[in-house]
Amino acid sequence: MKKLFFKSIIYLVGIFVVIELLIHILHLTKDYPVRIIDEYGVEKWKPNQTGYSVTGNRRQNFSKFRINNSGYNSYREFLPTKTKFEIALVGDSFIEGFHQDFDNSIGKKIEKKLENVSVYEYGYAGYDLADQLHLIHKYKEEFDLIDYVFIDLKFETDLVRKKYEVVKSRMKLESPLYKNIRKIKLLVFMQNIGVIDIGKKFVSNLMSFKINKSIKREEKPTKAKVNKSRINNFDQLISTYSFNKKRFIFILEKDKTPQVFINHLDKNNYRYLDLSKGFDKSDLPKTLIYDKHWNNHGRDLVSNQISFMIKLLNKNNRGQ
Amino acid sequence: MIFNSLEFFIFLSLVFLFYRFVCKRTVKKQNVFILFSSYLFYGWWDWRFLSLIILSTIIDFIVGIKIDSNNKKNTRKIWLWVSVIFNVSLLGFFKYYNFFVDSWVDMLSVLGYTIKSSWTLKVILPVGISFYTFQTMSYSFDIYYKKLKPTKDFLSFAAFVSFFPQLVAGPIERASNLLSQINSKRKFKYKQSVEGLKLIFWGLFKKVVIADALAPIVDDVFTNYSTYPASTLILGVTLFSFQVYGDFSGYSDIAIGTAKLFGIELMSNFRFPNFSRNVAEYWQRWHVSLSTWFRHYLYIPLGGSRVSKIKSVRNIIIIFLVSGFWHGANWTFIFWGAFHALVFIPVFLMGRNTIYKNSVVGQDSYFPSFIEIVQVLLTFSIITFSRIFFRSESITDAFGFINRIITNFSYASYKHPMGYRMVDYYILVILFVLYEYRIRKDERNPFKFKSKLVRFLMYTIVMFLMLLFYDSHIDRSFIYFQF
Repeated sequence: MKKLFFKSIIYLVGIFVVIELLIHILHLTKDYPVRIIDEYGVEKWKPNQTGYSVTGNRRQNFSKFRINNSGYNSYREFLPTKTKFEIALVGDSFIEGFHQDFDNSIGKKIEKKLENVSVYEYGYAGYDLADQLHLIHKYKEEFDLIDYVFIDLKFETDLVRKKYEVVKSRMKLESPLYKNIRKIKLLVFMQNIGVIDIGKKFVSNLMSFKINKSIKREEKPTKAKVNKSRINNFDQLISTYSFNKKRFIFILEKDKTPQVFINHLDKNNYRYLDLSKGFDKSDLPKTLIYDKHWNNHGRDLVSNQISFMIKLLNKNNRGQ
Repeated sequence: MIFNSLEFFIFLSLVFLFYRFVCKRTVKKQNVFILFSSYLFYGWWDWRFLSLIILSTIIDFIVGIKIDSNNKKNTRKIWLWVSVIFNVSLLGFFKYYNFFVDSWVDMLSVLGYTIKSSWTLKVILPVGISFYTFQTMSYSFDIYYKKLKPTKDFLSFAAFVSFFPQLVAGPIERASNLLSQINSKRKFKYKQSVEGLKLIFWGLFKKVVIADALAPIVDDVFTNYSTYPASTLILGVTLFSFQVYGDFSGYSDIAIGTAKLFGIELMSNFRFPNFSRNVAEYWQRWHVSLSTWFRHYLYIPLGGSRVSKIKSVRNIIIIFLVSGFWHGANWTFIFWGAFHALVFIPVFLMGRNTIYKNSVVGQDSYFPSFIEIVQVLLTFSIITFSRIFFRSESITDAFGFINRIITNFSYASYKHPMGYRMVDYYILVILFVLYEYRIRKDERNPFKFKSKLVRFLMYTIVMFLMLLFYDSHIDRSFIYFQF
């Protein structure tokens, strides 16, 4: 028995070491850039780092990222001026675009479509409206120089809170423990493909079995109640930070947004760009295979719509 | 609790350690613990199913003693019928009742009588019922034919019926093999345990990498067959051949390997059927425990091949139809069985049904001969064609699938339903076939390499492939659990 046990352990360790090497050599897992909280309390990536983002077991999506001097994934530096025509895209992982080559981002596509425009992509995975408005507020001087600011807004996820605070659970990922665990590429790989989730699910099933017996389930709030609370959060955030209705435009998908919120935006004269209009016109897939993020075609459609809107805004401005 | 789940591996580890450390002294302790673990394993699905297995165990235990204690042939026969009727009724009720009711209603509607059936029942098919009922019946048959003496130890018998590694999908064991091992004390043997672990590992590979990876493609092709050209349909059914083989033989390998950990040797269930040189050889290599069951307890009692040619042909048709029906209450399985009878009979009439019984393709050489390659490809094509019936949801779908292959004979490249690279799967299947050819002479030893380094590399490659093809989004249950 002892022999069986020890030999199995030796073989397992040996196998895992070789697989660890293979994962390194074949670059099967993504690189994790370092997160920071800057001097203004804004969470972003540590400036000037590069790496590769990988999705799928067999490296089906492989793209390079480049974190610029401002701490965001972009091929360019963000240097707003009074003279140039500039726009900013502020949003979460969809704008951040780690699943695309940094040289093929939505911003770059817009720049190709419109002449003499610089697009600054302030994208960071997990940003909600509180993060976005806090960023704009803290970097007011820069944002005041930018002609238009497009803010990505997903009603279901971006309006959960009404005031900004550093998200501790995200920053916990920068603890020495997590950093060291991430050095074991096999673990990262297993996490990414869902193997670790089997164990997590097993433990949570065990826990829930125990907890379910002792805790009464709370009643789920109604959809209308949730919508109302999110609209309140929205209003609260807008009132906390100065919001320029003339220059700030929300990007959203009407299909995924409750009508009550659309009515609220309309009533209060907020400008927004509805992406679902453009998405509906195309039958091709707009998202990646492995996750919900936009694929190249999806990014093309988004950049088309933003470019079209900018042209329209410029035309209107000239008319005035 | 399925074999490819974390729950099973935790269960297996705990049971193995307890069995080896706490229950090692007496055979009684070992059997009590095996029985307890097996009922726990089975009750994990639904504890209510346990009553059926316990009932079946009690009936056949009593029947066995009664058959043995009577010398009168008629009385012995009556007791045998008690076992057969009870087990077949159990199967009939849970598996076939609704099928018969629906078929009867359909037949009446064809004749012009429309009736609204309220006789169908909402019954869940108990997992493994087709397997353990056949196993207990074989016990009664063996005693009836005086091949076996009944056991007086109920615990051992109950452990034999419910032995968890093979309980839900076989191999369908004979009491002469399994019960005799259960009746004697099992000691830990290092070599046997290592062989067991290797088989579990190889079985997992076949399930996770071959069966599960191909499943989304096969599901897509069979669900949307009416929109695909012939080339895609042929690809889909070919990949289904590999999927069902990987799924079922993978399960069997895990079962055999797990049993080895407990000091028990189960019979082989798959012996590289994809390298069969004719249909008869295929049936000597595919689901061996079921095909030998039908041979011993149905074909031979009917006269087998020792009667006239016409009667032998009749016997072949009967066993294939029953075999098809055993798989499920659906006309697709009956057609599948009938098709196999149809392709088996010419081989039988030519006297070629046993010529490959004791050899494998490329028996005395490294590479197969040209003729062997042609034979293997032809047999594989015939078997794969039959799987259209096996996989289709209904007989209409099966004929629709075949019709589309014939009438829309065109080629178009196929795109994976989830957008993955198809070339990965083609390479995977080719490498799998080549590797299986390499190990074709010993199904119990998938890592038979003299060099330790080569063995280690093979383990690593297998583990690495499992990670590369693991998909957390797909249904991981075994195909044969539905039977």
